Amino acid sequence: MIEVSGVRLSHFQAMAIFAVVISLAFGFLSRRKAGDRLRYVGWSLFLFLVIGIGIGWVMYPFSR
Amino acid sequence: MFMSEITEQGSVAEEGTVSDAAVADGRRAEKRKAAAYAIAVAGWVVPGLGHAILKMWGRAAACFLTVGLLVVLGAGMRGNIFASGGGDAFDTLGYFADLGAGGFYFVARSIEKQGADVSHANGDYGTRFLATAGILNLLAALHAFEAARGHKA
Repeated sequence: MIEVSGVRLSHFQAMAIFAVVISLAFGFLSRRKAGDRLRYVGWSLFLFLVIGIGIGWVMYPFSR
Repeated sequence: MFMSEITEQGSVAEEGTVSDAAVADGRRAEKRKAAAYAIAVAGWVVPGLGHAILKMWGRAAACFLTVGLLVVLGAGMRGNIFASGGGDAFDTLGYFADLGAGGFYFVARSIEKQGADVSHANGDYGTRFLATAGILNLLAALHAFEAARGHKA
């Protein structure tokens, strides 16, 4: 069987992997042409990261 | 009188032809619908299989790899894999979300032998990864169902 244990990711790594995976899945499911998929994946990934980091900054003052 | 009889016979014949065609169309539609349900179930059990049956290879590979990666990472991070006998509504919702990954639900259980550890952020993220894998797979299965029914997808 597959032996995967003790995977440790930072907050940013977890968010980035999540963003990449979901952007890829949405891009492939919602677009047919390779160019359209690439643009969709890129734009979706950009928004995931920008909004995620933005929300992180907004929440920063309340984390202390 | 004579013309009216011909017209009546013609219209009857036409109606009969249309009716047969309609019945044949209805049967085809029923078969297609049954096949679409089978494809959706196949896509749920094995992520990407629904699209593979429809020869949508790129989408099949994308579904399999993304759902698989989320499950492996989620289980590797010791996320919570919910079981059927949940204590509250959130546990039950989590169980249905996890079960959405189909066969990969059991892969996750076999990977995570040490049990969940949500006392750290990693375990909490793992729980989210596992739930996301399930929901993503359900979305992909629904997409395959719509494509099999002939809807634009």
